Amino acid sequence: MAWVTWRQHRPQLVAGLGLLAALAVAAFGTHLPIQAAYHRDALADCLPPASRSGCDIIVRHFESEFDSWVAALRGLAVLPALAGLFVGAPLLAREIEHGTHRFAWTQGVTRSRWLLSKTALLAGATLAAGAAASAIVMWWRSPFDTLEGRMAPSGFDIEGLVVPAYALFALALGVLAGLVYRRTVAAMTATLVAFASTRFVVLKFLRPHFLAPLHSIVIATDSPPAGGDWVLSDILVDGGGRRITAGREDLAVLHAQQAGIDPHTYLVTLGWKRVISYQPAARFWTFQLIEAGLFVALAVAVILATLWLVRRTPT
Amino acid sequence: MTPPIDARALGKRFRREWGLRDCTVTIPEGAVVGLAGPNAAGKSTLLSLAAGLLAPSEGSIEVLGRNPLREPSVLAEVGYVAQGAPLYRSFTVAETIEFARRTNSCWDEALLADVPTRIAPRTKVGALSAGERARLALALALCKRPRLVLLDEPFAGLDPLAGREFLQLLMDGVAETAATVVIASHVIADIERVCDHIVLLTGGGVRLEGNVEELLESYRILIGPRRPLGSIRGVRSIVRERHSGRQLTLLVRTDGPIVDPSWTVEPVGLEELLLAYMAPERMPESAPPERLPLRWHG
Repeated sequence: MAWVTWRQHRPQLVAGLGLLAALAVAAFGTHLPIQAAYHRDALADCLPPASRSGCDIIVRHFESEFDSWVAALRGLAVLPALAGLFVGAPLLAREIEHGTHRFAWTQGVTRSRWLLSKTALLAGATLAAGAAASAIVMWWRSPFDTLEGRMAPSGFDIEGLVVPAYALFALALGVLAGLVYRRTVAAMTATLVAFASTRFVVLKFLRPHFLAPLHSIVIATDSPPAGGDWVLSDILVDGGGRRITAGREDLAVLHAQQAGIDPHTYLVTLGWKRVISYQPAARFWTFQLIEAGLFVALAVAVILATLWLVRRTPT
Repeated sequence: MTPPIDARALGKRFRREWGLRDCTVTIPEGAVVGLAGPNAAGKSTLLSLAAGLLAPSEGSIEVLGRNPLREPSVLAEVGYVAQGAPLYRSFTVAETIEFARRTNSCWDEALLADVPTRIAPRTKVGALSAGERARLALALALCKRPRLVLLDEPFAGLDPLAGREFLQLLMDGVAETAATVVIASHVIADIERVCDHIVLLTGGGVRLEGNVEELLESYRILIGPRRPLGSIRGVRSIVRERHSGRQLTLLVRTDGPIVDPSWTVEPVGLEELLLAYMAPERMPESAPPERLPLRWHG
């Protein structure tokens, strides 16, 4: 079956390798100026605990210089979906669309074994490609990870173990969608919708609670805690712990301005505090393990469901 | 001895319509079976059910004594060529052969000797003619050394010469293995030459089934002057009656010699017999009205 899989998925494999090569070249090319700026600004000396005074200015300049690049890099979050769209979805849909499943599934190899072997081999390739892409991104982002951290979704979603896990899940979804919808385009659409919604649900509703978030309470006018943590919420409360709306805060500021008092001092004298709920940067690998495990488990469940379906309700 | 195909009250419903209904048939071992019937009679459906590509909606089907869906390993012993001989169009002929070799544990390439010499192995399957593709698909099916060969409309789109070459390959292939062959075709002339057994499917169920020689032996055409029909000695039932002027032509099923000298007795051809059963002017057996066979377009 290895030869069969290789022969049938050669174009996707070549395209995948091409994509990785392009990513590597682009990463290397764009990383040169970043490295130069990093050394020019002697940013390594600015890292805690040895932070010199004035470092915040240097760091801000460095960050603003490459802000748009870092933002563009977030777009790589779509990469894992490609495995589902272009490898997973056509796997069964193309066969059924062209009628070739009538040839492939009536050979000596049973169709469950045929599907299992192909899926397993493609899953291996997908995991390898995902890991490679993740490694490239982690290398490229390393200066920013040091300065800004990678716990927030902008870094977390494109680094570490979750990238290959997302890709595996997308692949599995694609295969199932191909069996259910039997048309490549329909299967691709369904894969994209299912993948994006699962990612959204996990990011919005599950990941913040993998472990109980920490809280820190600071006085109203303090700047947020040093970067690296994933801030889930940052709210203002009064002395009694009741939440203060932005509207009420604005009123208080206006009131202070009219009365000729410094608004910052006024907010502090009111006894208002900011309650920041966050996931600390140190939990990065724990969260990576949990989320990657979750998506791998989902992928395995989807693959098992597909195998069950392909045996029970053929065409 | 388990029959190669044993279907019992087999039915398959697609969304709204029944593709096949109430089909009970046993294919005898070693026979070359012509599966005849008009378009949409359920021939392809029956073969797909036998190949495990469809699940029955009712009834059951056993292939070589096994359920093709629950025990798909039986397909290793079945050579199935679907309608239009689907193969991977982007594969070359050599790659297609490699595919089949790698997906079958039982593989005997002796039969392929004929194919690659006449089709360049580097040719893409998509560039082959319909006849070449059909022969390639058949050769691949035969290399499995199957005990049962299922061919779904293999002559569709083939010119007469390609059809003859196809049959030649088939007969050479099954000559030594004594495999059972089922050929579905709506063109009776195509299967008439090779079949020794006939199964006629119409809109529902099996209308006629049996050994070709025995069938032809038990049907006769009677020609005589027009007259009111009573019972004729030696005639079990009248399949079809036709009037032309003063002449009456009957297709009858006999149960003894016809001795009445006022009838001219003639043998019947297979095609005529099957056509009569597909669109009978007089039903030989009572059949519920919804089972009325479709009109013949062939």
